[in-house]
Amino acid sequence: MQTRLLNDAIIEQVREVFDQLQEPVEVLFFGQEAGCEYCEDTLQLVQEIVALSDKLGVRVYDLDRDASIAQQYKVDKAPGIVIAGRDGDQVQDYGIRYAGIPAGHEFSSLVHDLILVSGRDSGLDAKTRQFLAGLKEPILLQVFVTPT
Amino acid sequence: MVLAHRMALESPLVEAEMIEAMEFPELSARHDVNGVPQTTINDGAGTLVGAAPESYLVTEIQKALKS
Repeated sequence: MQTRLLNDAIIEQVREVFDQLQEPVEVLFFGQEAGCEYCEDTLQLVQEIVALSDKLGVRVYDLDRDASIAQQYKVDKAPGIVIAGRDGDQVQDYGIRYAGIPAGHEFSSLVHDLILVSGRDSGLDAKTRQFLAGLKEPILLQVFVTPT
Repeated sequence: MVLAHRMALESPLVEAEMIEAMEFPELSARHDVNGVPQTTINDGAGTLVGAAPESYLVTEIQKALKS
């Protein structure tokens, strides 16, 4: 049997904040067979998290075998994660992605993102919303982080 | 640093990817990642190091769009 990644204390904390979940959220996981050191752990981590609420689901894909789906969600790295909304059978992509294992500090970012997407509201300042509403061209933000 | 993800949720034109720098050393080297979090705007049109308040990230995006 596989060892759990999340201990009881963390599970209890996450369950508690998941009380704030509203609408369904779908996590799309993209792995890769060759040369992906963290794919297995990342998938297990995602599975353990989504198991904590019936508002969360996960779909598992492979970067190579499901190349067209990866392209659709603009995932080009493994492990790759997309945090999307789900409405019935429809997956709503917001362009929210992770590349690499969301461990350490990024684990809390992931939990926050699930709640954020579940609420379907960015919570941004009115000024920021106004600026974003006026955008005419695409913006790609790549945030480089380390686990500690 | 969920701010970038908030912006992605807000706007269909914004995509935000959080990248574990040590797992993707080539990409990190290409964008000269030294301190984290580092936010790279449109593949290098703008760069911002450290956790930034909303207004600051907006300013940097505006600058990057003009460059």
